[in-house]
Amino acid sequence: MDDEVGAVINKCIQCGTCIGSCFSGRVTALNTRRILMEHLAKGVPIENHDALWFCVTCYACQERCPRGIPVTEIILKARNELARRKGLPGRLKNAFSYLEKHSALVPGKDRNLEMRKELGLPVYHSQFDDEARKEVSEIVKRHLKEVIR
Amino acid sequence: MKFFPGCMIHNRYPGIEKSLYYVFDNLEIEISPLKGSSCCPAPSITKSVSQDLWLEIGKRNIQLAKNDTIMTACNGCFTTLFEVSEKIGTGDVRHVAEFLYFDVGTEKIRRSITKRLPLKLAVHYGCHFFRPGEYKKFTSPERPKILDELVEAIGSQSVDYRYKMMCCGGGGGVRAGATEVSQELLEIKLDAMSNEEIDAIVVVCPLCLNQFDNGQKELENSRNRSYGIPTVHYIQLLAVAMGMEPELTGIQWHSISSTDLIEKLVKGEMAEE
Ligand code: SF4
Ligand code: SF4
Repeated sequence: MDDEVGAVINKCIQCGTCIGSCFSGRVTALNTRRILMEHLAKGVPIENHDALWFCVTCYACQERCPRGIPVTEIILKARNELARRKGLPGRLKNAFSYLEKHSALVPGKDRNLEMRKELGLPVYHSQFDDEARKEVSEIVKRHLKEVIR
Repeated sequence: MKFFPGCMIHNRYPGIEKSLYYVFDNLEIEISPLKGSSCCPAPSITKSVSQDLWLEIGKRNIQLAKNDTIMTACNGCFTTLFEVSEKIGTGDVRHVAEFLYFDVGTEKIRRSITKRLPLKLAVHYGCHFFRPGEYKKFTSPERPKILDELVEAIGSQSVDYRYKMMCCGGGGGVRAGATEVSQELLEIKLDAMSNEEIDAIVVVCPLCLNQFDNGQKELENSRNRSYGIPTVHYIQLLAVAMGMEPELTGIQWHSISSTDLIEKLVKGEMAEE
């Protein structure tokens, strides 16, 4: 975490409003208040918690925090480091190779194109347009070269 | 206007797109596909690896529209393109549900339909319809009413249920990255919905649709839980209320369907003049 984020986290008063709003925290080990507490009290890096992957990014915590701490943004940022260290969890592993190869996180298959045809819809996603697809692939390659193994 | 389909609508739920064109045609609003547009890219998943990647692909998509209004029908696409447009200072990005509510209005919708749909619906907004609210200031994320009123405008009833504002469990990369957690959350949500008498769940996002629809199938397999509640996108219902054949909405391709729902869609009730 950079200094800017550190300064923001310092404003946390440990009120627990964030975790009280968190549905994911009710069923998983994700505990935003505690993650911030351990960071403040013992300097434990935010990105040390694998439970960050349990956040559904609903933004309820962030928008209800009385101190204006961007909790969700902090989680997303910490995930960058977590992903760099340990890779992406579960089926997310393939996501960015799809994005690089097809310019789609959810690529279309033949069956999907048939559905479009049946409805009389054109096929125009960059996945099916060589030039557009290459353009997007280049962007993905440029940014993810050293980020994701 | 340009329609931005994103991966989920272009590659999984084309019936949403078909329905949207039907509705816009009916309202005499010109709209055409945003050719060559890519994955938006999905906000939370992409930001989880690189904010810069998210920004650059988002920017490319916005620039393709050459300042024409970009219409989305997905909370994820809306979030990415809307946020990026605010950051780079160009692009007019809309979500079809808020566009219908604010620019068309429920009165006009009421007058435009040819049949009322007497359905009891569990409304699910989806977290990213109004959050992060730093940019989307159009409605209260704590007590929204846009979708409830849109539902009433087509003669359906929005049934209140516990955990109405809870996430479907599909966001943030959790569906793919931590499938167990995603199913746990979905189960809580569906338990609450199934306590009420409803014909369907209505959403404004293909990712929520996928989570509720295919997610129910998955819960049957992994947890032996069976709910049998169909899920539809609001624009599919509106298109049918305006006279489109239910088949063209593609709901016959959803995992969970019910003959009861299809019957109600086919028949409807006469709209009052
Ligand atoms: S709601 Fe804000 S101030 Fe309260 S514990 Fe959470 S982050 Fe800290
Ligand atoms: S954004 Fe994440 S941490 Fe915050 S309340 Fe939602 S699931 Fe919990």
